[in-house]
Amino acid sequence: MSDVTSTHSAQSQRVRAGTWRDAVLANGSVVSIALFFLVVSVIFSVATDAFLTSPNLLNILRQSAPLLIVAAAMTFVITTGGIDLSVGSVLALVATLSATLLQLGLPWPLVILAMLALGALLGAVQGYFVAYEGIPAFIVTLAGLSVIRGVALLITGGYSIPIEPGSPFTVLGRAWLLGVPAPALIALAILAIAYIAFNETPFGRYVTGIGANAEAVRRAGVNTRLTTLFVYVISAAAAALAGIIIAARLGSGSSNAGQGFELEVIAAVVLGGTSLFGGRGTIVGTVLGALTVAVIGNGLILAHLSPFLTPIVTGTIILIAIWLNFRLFRGAVRSR
Amino acid sequence: MSSGETYRVRMSGISKRYNAIQTLDDVSLVLRPGEVLGLVGDNGAGKSTLSKVLSGAVVPDAGTIEIDGMPVTFTSPAEARAARVEMVYQDLSLCDTVDVAGNLFLGREPRRRIAGISFLDKKRMHEQTRQMLDRLGIVIADTRLKVENLSGGQRQSIAIGRAASFEPSVLIMDEPTAALAVAEVEAVLDLIRAVSARGVSVILITHRLQDLFLVCDRIQVMYEGRNVAERLIGETNIEDVVNLIVGRKFNARSATSAYRDGAPA
Repeated sequence: MSDVTSTHSAQSQRVRAGTWRDAVLANGSVVSIALFFLVVSVIFSVATDAFLTSPNLLNILRQSAPLLIVAAAMTFVITTGGIDLSVGSVLALVATLSATLLQLGLPWPLVILAMLALGALLGAVQGYFVAYEGIPAFIVTLAGLSVIRGVALLITGGYSIPIEPGSPFTVLGRAWLLGVPAPALIALAILAIAYIAFNETPFGRYVTGIGANAEAVRRAGVNTRLTTLFVYVISAAAAALAGIIIAARLGSGSSNAGQGFELEVIAAVVLGGTSLFGGRGTIVGTVLGALTVAVIGNGLILAHLSPFLTPIVTGTIILIAIWLNFRLFRGAVRSR
Repeated sequence: MSSGETYRVRMSGISKRYNAIQTLDDVSLVLRPGEVLGLVGDNGAGKSTLSKVLSGAVVPDAGTIEIDGMPVTFTSPAEARAARVEMVYQDLSLCDTVDVAGNLFLGREPRRRIAGISFLDKKRMHEQTRQMLDRLGIVIADTRLKVENLSGGQRQSIAIGRAASFEPSVLIMDEPTAALAVAEVEAVLDLIRAVSARGVSVILITHRLQDLFLVCDRIQVMYEGRNVAERLIGETNIEDVVNLIVGRKFNARSATSAYRDGAPA
C-alpha cells in the first residue's frame, strides 16, 4: 500500500479526495448492511435475555448454515448478471433422494458424493441453456424450480422419508465439533473458499467482468460461456450440500423442504449489496445479509412475537437497505 | 522489398460487397514501420470496414494483405492478433466495475500457483500496470481505481495502453478522440505519439481533422469505398482534406479561418 500512498501525495488534492470517496462508494453497500446487522443485533440483545447467549448464537449459525452456503454461491450467479431460482427445489430433491438412497441401504459417503454430483449436473443443464442457448436465466431456472420440485414430489408421493437416527449421515447436521455445530463449520469452510475464489482467482475476476461487460471479457480471450455455465454448477452444488445438511439435521427428507428458500437466498445476497444488474458483488456483504435475515427470524421468536412477522420485517429491511444504498451511496448500486 | 522499401502493412486490391453495396472497391493501403496514418472519409466511405479487414473481423472478397513482406490471410481477430495487429474498438471493451490493473490484464492476469490452484498475483499485476502506464505517460493516480471512476480520456488511455501492451506492430484506433474534452484529446494524441515512437505503426480513424495534423505522417482519404487521395501531412491543409472527403470544392466553415492557424503541423 505504501507505493499507492506516495503516488497519491504526488497528485493534486482533487485526485486524492476522489479516491477516498470512491473507496466509501465501493464499500458503501457493505457498510450499510453491517450497520443494519449491528442495529438488529443490539435491539434483540436489549429486548430479550436469551438472544446474546452462546447457545442461541450457535443455534443461529447452525440453522442459517444452508442459507449462508447457498447465498455465497448465489453471489457468483447474481454477479454475472444471472439468477438461480431453482436452489430451493434442488435442496428438496437432494433431501428426499438422500433419504431414499439411505433407506435402500447405500453407504452414506456414496450418497453424499452422488447428491453433490446430482446438484452439479442439474446446475450444468441449466447453465447450458443460459450460457450456450442464450435463454434468460430467470426463465431457465424458473422452469428448473418447477420441474425439480415436481420430481421430488413424484418420488415421495408428498410424504417425508425418515432417515435412521443411528446413521452416521446425520452427523453432518447434528454433530458438534470443538463446541461448534458441524453445519456451521461446513458453512465457514464454504464461505472461506467462496471469498478466496471470488476475490483472489481469475475465475472470480471473470465472474465480475462478465457481469460488467461480457463482450469485453470475451474479446479478451476468456471462455465466457463456460464461466457462466460454471456459476450455475456452483449454485446447484451448493444447494445440494444445503439439502444434505437439512436432511441430516431433521433426520428426514421432505419434498416440501426449502419452499421459498430461493427468495430468502436472493434477499440475503441483495441485502449484502450485490447488484442484480451484475458486475458488483461481495461475499462479505452476502454473509452479513444472510446473518441479518437469520437474526431477524430468531430474534422475533425469542421476543415472543408472531413468527409471521419475520417476512414482513425482512421485506421492509430489504427495501430500506436498498433505498439507503441508492440515496447515501449513489453510484454503488447504480444500474449503469 | 523489390521497391527497396519495407512496408509494415501492404494491402492491395481489397474488395468487399455486402449484398447490393460495394463497401470496398479495389482499395490499397500501405503503412511503414512507426508511421502514423490518418484514415479519413465520410460516413460509409469504408474506413471502418477496411480497418476490420486488417484486424481480421471482416473477411474480404478479394485482395491481398502482406505484413513485413509476408502474405497473410486473416479469418478471425485472433489470427490478426497473432500477427501482432491490435485494434482499439470504439466502445473500448472495458469492464467498469473492475480496477485499472484488472482491465489492462484482462484475460492474461499474472498468476501464482499454490497447491495446484492458480491465484491472481495482484501485487505483480499492479506493479506491472504502474510500469506500463509510466512508460506510456498515462497519468492515473491509483491502479486500484475502478474504471467507472475514470474520465473518458483516462478510459481511452487504458484501452490504448492495453492494446499497446501486447507489443503490436500495427495498432488500429477507431475514433479514439471522439467525445473527449480538450485536455483529454491532447493526452490521447500524446499517447499515440508515444506508441509510434516505440516503432508501432498506427492507423488512426477520425472525424476530428485537426487531430490528423497533430500526429499523422500521412493521410489517406476514402470516398464511397475507394481510396481517392493520399497526402503527406506537410503537403496538405485542412481545406484540401475536407474537399477530398466530400469529393468537391466545399466551403465548409469548419475548414476556414477558425482552424487555419493551428492546421499545419
